Amino acid sequence: MKNDQTNELYKRFKAKLELVAGECYRVNTAIEAGELVCKVLEEKGIQNVALLDASISNKGDFADLIEKKGITVYTDHFREVTPEAQAGITQVNYAIAELGTLVQADADANVNQRLCSTLVPIHIALVSTVSLIPSLKEMMATLHELPQIPGFVGFITGPSRTSDIERVLTIGVHGPKQLVVVFVDEETGEVA
Amino acid sequence: MADKQFKKKISDALGNDVLRGALGRFGDAYIISREKAYEGYNFKEISDNIADVKSYAASHLDEMIDQFEKAATERGAKVFRAMTGEDAKEYILEVAKRNNVKRVVKSKSMVSEEILLNKTLMAEGMDVQETDLGEWIVQLAGQHPSHMVMPAIHMTKEEVADVFSGHLHRLNQPVIAELVKTARVELRKSFIEADMGISGANMAIAETGTLIMLTNEGNGRLTSTLPPIHIFLVGIEKLVPEFEDATHILQALPRSATGQQITSYVSMVTGPTPAYYSDGTVKDKEFHIILMDNGRRKMYNDEKFKKTFQCIRCASCLNVCPAFQLVGGHVYGHIYTGGIGTILTNFLNSEKDAQNPQNLCLQCGKCSEVCPGKLDIPQMILEMRNRIGAKEGLPFTQKFALDVVSNRRLFHSLLRMASVAQKPFTKGQPVIRHLPMFLSGLTEKKSLPAVAKVPFRDVFKTIKQDVKNPKGKIALYAGCLIDFVYPKIGEGVIGALNEKGYEVIFPDGQSCCGAPATYMGDRSNARKCAIMNIEALEAEKVDYVVSACPTCTHALKESFKELLHDDPALATRAEELSKKSKDFSKLLFDLGGLTPGGDGIPMKVTYHDSCHLKRSMGVYTEPRKILTDTAGVQLIEMKESDRCCGFAGSYSIKFPELSGPILERKLRNIEESGADVVVVDCPGCLMQISGGLDKQNPKVKVVHTAELLLEKRKVKKNRKK
Repeated sequence: MKNDQTNELYKRFKAKLELVAGECYRVNTAIEAGELVCKVLEEKGIQNVALLDASISNKGDFADLIEKKGITVYTDHFREVTPEAQAGITQVNYAIAELGTLVQADADANVNQRLCSTLVPIHIALVSTVSLIPSLKEMMATLHELPQIPGFVGFITGPSRTSDIERVLTIGVHGPKQLVVVFVDEETGEVA
Repeated sequence: MADKQFKKKISDALGNDVLRGALGRFGDAYIISREKAYEGYNFKEISDNIADVKSYAASHLDEMIDQFEKAATERGAKVFRAMTGEDAKEYILEVAKRNNVKRVVKSKSMVSEEILLNKTLMAEGMDVQETDLGEWIVQLAGQHPSHMVMPAIHMTKEEVADVFSGHLHRLNQPVIAELVKTARVELRKSFIEADMGISGANMAIAETGTLIMLTNEGNGRLTSTLPPIHIFLVGIEKLVPEFEDATHILQALPRSATGQQITSYVSMVTGPTPAYYSDGTVKDKEFHIILMDNGRRKMYNDEKFKKTFQCIRCASCLNVCPAFQLVGGHVYGHIYTGGIGTILTNFLNSEKDAQNPQNLCLQCGKCSEVCPGKLDIPQMILEMRNRIGAKEGLPFTQKFALDVVSNRRLFHSLLRMASVAQKPFTKGQPVIRHLPMFLSGLTEKKSLPAVAKVPFRDVFKTIKQDVKNPKGKIALYAGCLIDFVYPKIGEGVIGALNEKGYEVIFPDGQSCCGAPATYMGDRSNARKCAIMNIEALEAEKVDYVVSACPTCTHALKESFKELLHDDPALATRAEELSKKSKDFSKLLFDLGGLTPGGDGIPMKVTYHDSCHLKRSMGVYTEPRKILTDTAGVQLIEMKESDRCCGFAGSYSIKFPELSGPILERKLRNIEESGADVVVVDCPGCLMQISGGLDKQNPKVKVVHTAELLLEKRKVKKNRKK
C-alpha cells in the first residue's frame, strides 16, 4: 500500500519535472545511484565534478566510483572550484510531487550546498524517495514544523530559464542548464 | 483630459510595430498559459485566501511590522524601517561605505527602481549591476522597465544585440540563445566579484522574519549565496502574517505572472546565512532588511485604496488590459505601469504623474476578473478620476457637455434639434459616415449612427400594450441611446415583457443615467442625474425597472446608491431602485424566458458580451439561453467574446486612436466566427461595432437581443392606428 503511494508520487514528480526540461531517474540502492550518476556524467562528457558529501553519496561511495571513471572529483574548496566545475552533485532534503520541485532545507544553511547546485552548468540532485511530499501545501506545513525555518530554503524546479528576450524560452541563465534528479529508495539517513 | 505630450507618447507607441507585435503575441499566449497553469486548481479559492491573509496584514500593519522585526532580529538580521525612499538610500549608502563596497549586484527589485537607487550608488562611484536579464538589458539601454515581470518586453533581439555590442565593445549577433549565454558569462563575473547584493522580495513573513523571492534565472539564489553583504529592500505591502500563508501566494504568483506552475527557483531566506568572505573564511554574512513605506501607508489608510495592499505584483492586470496591449508600459510615464501602476504612481510618486495615464483605463473590468488579490482596479481608477475632477475641474468643453446632459430639458431639446440638423451628414442614410474636419478622428474607422427621427419617448405613446390581467407593472428606463438613437430596442423590450404578462410604463421625467459624468470624474453632475432619475422612475410603484443598456443598469443598481449614500432619504430610494432594476436579458430570463419559438428561418448568430453586463453583473449565460430558445438561431461563439469592443463611453471620443485598434480586433473575431449577425445587449457596443462593420464588412448586421426577438418572433404590430 505504502509502496503504491510512493510509486504514484514518483510518477507525478517525474511527469512534472519532465514538463520543465528536467531529467528524472529512480534506483533501489545508493550503489546503483553511484553507477547511474557515473553513466550520466560519462554520457554528458563531464571531466570534473563538484561532489558535496551527503548520506547517499557516502553510502554509494560516489567519490571512488566516479574517480575510477577518470573524472576529477572536487570535494572541498567549493568557492574556488564551482565557478569552473562542469557539474555538481548534491543531495536535497525533500521533493514535492505536485510540482516536480526539489527542496533544499539544510538546518545549517550550508553555503556549499548552494554553490554546488547553482554555479555549475549541470546539477545532479540526489533525493531519498521517502522524502517525497505530495503537495506544496504539505511542504510548507512540513517546513513550518521544523524546530526553526532553516536560514535558506531553496525550491528548485527544473533548470534555470528566462523568457526576457522576445518572450522566447531559453534554458540556462545564471543557474544550471541541466537538472538531473536521482531518487534512491534505500534509506540512507539524513542528508548530511 | 490627456494632454498633447501624452497623446504624442501614445501615437509613438502605436507606431512602434515591434512593441505592438511583442505585446500582442504575449497577450494572446498569456491567456492560454495562465488558464492551463490553473487547471485543476480553484482560482477563486486561492484568491479568496490571498485576500484574507493580505487584508488581515493590511489592517494590522504595525503589528505585522513589529512582529517581523522581532522575528528577523532574533535570527540575526538588522531591520531598518524607511519612511521614505531617501531614508532607504541613505541607509544603503551607509552600509556600503562602511564596508568599502565597490561592486554591487542586484536581483530584481521594483522598489529599488521606484526610488532610483542605482543612480545614488553609481554617483558614489560604485559599480551596480542588475542581474535579472530583462533588468540588465534595460539598464544597459539606459531605460526603465516597461513591465513589472518582463522589464524588456518592448525590445527585439536586434535591439538587445545592439545594446550588448555597445556595452561589450564587440559584435553580438541577434540570436537569443547566444545573447543569453553572453549575459550568463558577463554577469557571472559580477556575481563572483560582488562585495554586496541587493534584492527585493515577493513576500515577508511576519511570524518568522522570512523573505521569499521567486525567480526563474537563478539570480535571486546567487545574490543570496555569493556576496558577504546582503540587503533586502522590501515594500511594506509584502508582509504576510504566517509562514504557511505564503502557500496561497506561491500558488498564484507564478501562475498569474507567467503561466507557470511554479518558478524555477523559490528562495526563502531567514536571517544571515554563511557566506565566503574574500579571505576565504566562511561565516555569517552581514544581513540587512529595509522595510520601506515611501507613501504606501497613506495609500493603505485611504479606505478606497486599502485593497492595493492585496496586490502581489503579478502584473496579470497589465497582460489582459486592451489598452496596455496597444501602448506598452513606457506610456504610463513612471516606474509602475498599467492600471495598478497608475494607482501606485499616484501614491508612491505623484498625483500629477498619474493624471494622464489614468485616462487610459477603459473601465472594461477585465483586470479585476483575473486579479489574484481581488483588487477592483477600474473602481480605484474611477475614484482617482473623481478626485482629480473635484480638485481641478474638467476642461470647459467637457464640463459644458456634462452640464447640458444633467439638464434634461436642455439636453433633450438639443437632441431633437440634432435629429433635424444632422441631415447634411447622414445623406439620408441611417448612419453618419463623415464628420467635418476636427471630428474626423471619430469616423475614420467607423460610422456614427444618426439621431432617430422620432425618439422612443414619443414612439412609446403609439405602442398599444394588449396585456390581459397583467401580472404586474415594469418601468422601462431607456437611457439616451435607446431613447434617441435606437428606439427599436425599446419596442423589443416591451414586446417581450408584454408576452410575459407585464405592463410596461415609460416615466417621462427620466433622462441620462449620468454614466458619462461618472466615468469622466464629474461627481456633481452624476449626482444630479441620479436624483432626477430616482424621482422620475418611482421604483416604489412598480415591480421592476428594466433597462436594455448594461451601463445604465449598472448606474441604476450601483452608482446611484454610491452617489447618494450620504443623503438618508435619497439613499433609501436609491436602494429600492437598485433592488428592482434588472437588465433586460436578465429580467426576461428570471421571469422564465419566452416560450421557445420564432420564425425558424436559419440565422447564424454570434454573441458579444458587454463589459458591464458580464463583469459588473455576471450576466452571460442568460442572453445565450434567450438566443438559443429562438427558433432558427444558430449560436456560434466568437473568440474573446467578452473582450471590450473599445467603445467605453467617452473613451472612443478621447482616444479614437486606441478605441480603433481595439474595435478592429473585435471585428476580426466576429468575421472569423462566420456569423451573419452579431447580437449584443448594450446599445453602446451596438453603436461601436455596427459603426466598424458598416465600414469594413457591411454584410454582417448587429442587433440588440430585444431587436432580434422583435424580428424573429414576429411580435404583432401593436401600434395604434
